[in-house]
Amino acid sequence: MSNIIASNIFLSENENRTLMALLELIIPADIDRGMPSAADLDFVRYLEEFASKEIPAIKNELEILNNTAEEETGNPFFKLGNEEQREFCNQQRETNRRFVRTILVQTLNCYYQDDKVLTALGRKSGAPFPEGNEVLQGDLTLLDPVRKRGNIYRKWE
Amino acid sequence: MADDIVDVLIIGAGASSAAAAWSLSDTRMRILCLEQGDWMNPADYPSTKKNWQVLRDNEYNQSPNIRCRDTDYPINEDESDISVANFNGVGGGTILYSGHFPRLKPSDFKTKSLDGVGADWPIDYRTLESYFAQNDRNMGVSGLPGDPAGPYHESPLPPVPIGKMGEVMGKGLNKLGWHWWPSDAAIITENYEGREKCINLGPCNFGCAQGAKSSVDISYWPINQRLGVELKTRCRVREITVNKNGMATGAIYFDENGVEKFQRAEVVIMACNGVGTPRLLLNSKSTQFPNGLANHSGLVGKNLMFHPWGFVEGFFNEPLESDLGPMGSCMLSQEFYETDPKLDFVRGYTLQITRGKSPVTIALQHTLKGDIPWGLEHHKNFERYMGRSVNINVVCEDLPEESNMVSLDPELTDSHGIPAPKINYHVSENSNRMMQHGVKSAIQALEASGAFQVNPYGRTRDTGWHLLGTARMGNNPDNSVVNKWGRSHDVKNLFIIDGSIFVTSGAVNPTTTIQALALYVADQMKKNLANLFD
Ligand SMILES: Cc1cc2nc3c(=O)[nH]c(=O)nc-3n(C[C@H](O)[C@H](O)[C@H](O)COP(=O)(O)OP(=O)(O)OC[C@H]3O[C@@H](n4cnc5c(N)ncnc54)[C@H](O)[C@@H]3O)c2cc1C
Repeated sequence: MSNIIASNIFLSENENRTLMALLELIIPADIDRGMPSAADLDFVRYLEEFASKEIPAIKNELEILNNTAEEETGNPFFKLGNEEQREFCNQQRETNRRFVRTILVQTLNCYYQDDKVLTALGRKSGAPFPEGNEVLQGDLTLLDPVRKRGNIYRKWE
Repeated sequence: MADDIVDVLIIGAGASSAAAAWSLSDTRMRILCLEQGDWMNPADYPSTKKNWQVLRDNEYNQSPNIRCRDTDYPINEDESDISVANFNGVGGGTILYSGHFPRLKPSDFKTKSLDGVGADWPIDYRTLESYFAQNDRNMGVSGLPGDPAGPYHESPLPPVPIGKMGEVMGKGLNKLGWHWWPSDAAIITENYEGREKCINLGPCNFGCAQGAKSSVDISYWPINQRLGVELKTRCRVREITVNKNGMATGAIYFDENGVEKFQRAEVVIMACNGVGTPRLLLNSKSTQFPNGLANHSGLVGKNLMFHPWGFVEGFFNEPLESDLGPMGSCMLSQEFYETDPKLDFVRGYTLQITRGKSPVTIALQHTLKGDIPWGLEHHKNFERYMGRSVNINVVCEDLPEESNMVSLDPELTDSHGIPAPKINYHVSENSNRMMQHGVKSAIQALEASGAFQVNPYGRTRDTGWHLLGTARMGNNPDNSVVNKWGRSHDVKNLFIIDGSIFVTSGAVNPTTTIQALALYVADQMKKNLANLFD
């Protein structure tokens, strides 16, 4: 799956290009680790399903991103080359701590709840229930020194 | 028109209520419980959903002011250093609790005699010992016998797994020569009484879909109902009424349709927690009780105790899978629990060692902080933190102070127009010094265990889980609200059984002690049935 926006009813084509470029910058793929890029996931569908109330803020951030890029470079963000986009974002992040904050938060929410990502991290995908997880009981003989020391609480009779 | 009279009317269906109702059910009295919230449906809990990691933000938020369910009531916390966490529904706070279940210790009941601070309880650990054990059986509690930091006791079920993180921390604490022990937990580790065992879903604090966490809607209430206790939900009590002799006659409440009703009762038991109970008593004004019911001492709402709470987080090089397992229950160290005259504070604290954070939380926290960058390096750096974090919670004993209190807000009301509570609370100097020491100890423990990075966050505001002390017990009616078996000094057929009756807070999560007290009070009621109101 790459850059497929299955049900994109709320982003214009330019907004969509802007968003995809940004997602790619935030979390690119890491083939060795089996990790997809954030742009490979169905971010838009995630928003529709789980975070629809964030959509206006996201559209607003995309607009600001394009306008600022245009003011500073003469081109909207989506028209810049990859390297220029990266540099532009780095500059913005240095001066503005809240730069594309909603998009960043929702990207991380989407990415780290994605089945493919969780599986690559060695975690079960989907809802924890009903499968659950195995957890090592742990070596309780490590408590021997604690036992040996004896009671440590204050008595009151 | 008034409903039928019941023998016992319990307000609230949380931890204490469930235990007391169970105990009283064998009297064959007619027992009715009114609860403002709903029954929960475990199939709706976040861990049944793919996006479980982010569902804590709203609907399952621990703050009623953020959660804002129609069954919640607002709380004015503007003048409080700590904000309240609760849940309003059948199960009360146990719906969201971690199930960390350590008991108060013998010294906790005698802080005045031993250390010259706080006040002595009119009862002691021994008084509650058999009730702790009974409650452990009823709730389904896991633990390892033989913890040298408290009197010997056995739990019905084997302890929760400590995991790789527990081993690493245990070795570190052993290097320091400090106490540690796997936590007692109200989580069933084996199938128990028709319930299925814990399968390590993780987020106990959003409700347990498996039903393995012993919230009282799962452990006690179904049994109570089979034993004949009636429970009505969506009934919000506005006030307890009294007759001209100063005896409680019942409660005025709003039913599920918002219709005002009156329930008559021979005995009223308050179980609305350390904020809800004083709120209701203060809202129950009458000619006999112009300052609120059962408040001749002036102490209703006073002496509010939370546990000042701090966090220190450590990160380890090796993968610990610390994000898996029951999140709030793993192990504890009580090395600094008892007063040590060499230190610059009295009383002490617990280090509650809890599991790591979920992938989303790790990613958010560390990306926003800059530890995890954007771009190609993102993955490598995420891996450094994921499943490799351990949290140490510094749980400080809070001592009673009259200036820390619950009162009625002059303007804020709930959806039924009932005045809402207002909290005035400031962390004391003793607690601040204790916290500083606790944070240092937590750093030391994490470093001794091999953490490559330690983040001491210190005391945190959103930690008002434990609501205690606002209608305390005592022998002297001038400086306590209820007597040594939970009966109001002023109103002979009014009992209080929730966290309000704590005299001091200890330095542990309180629910096992709250429930042991509730069982004890119920037992005293049964033993004194013939002359209950003398
Ligand atoms: C997120 C979280 C984590 C926690 N973790 C732990 C832990 O690990 N270990 C531990 O020991 N404790 C923990 N606690 C605390 C624990 O939940 C409480 O100590 C315990 O539930 C208190 O019992 P209670 O009977 O005093 O009151 P509650 O359980 O709070 O019950 C009070 C009930 O009264 C009802 N009520 C209030 N007012 C009215 C009214 N006017 N009319 C009708 N009904 C009313 C409420 O809706 C509520 O259901 C945690 C709490 C939270 C919120």
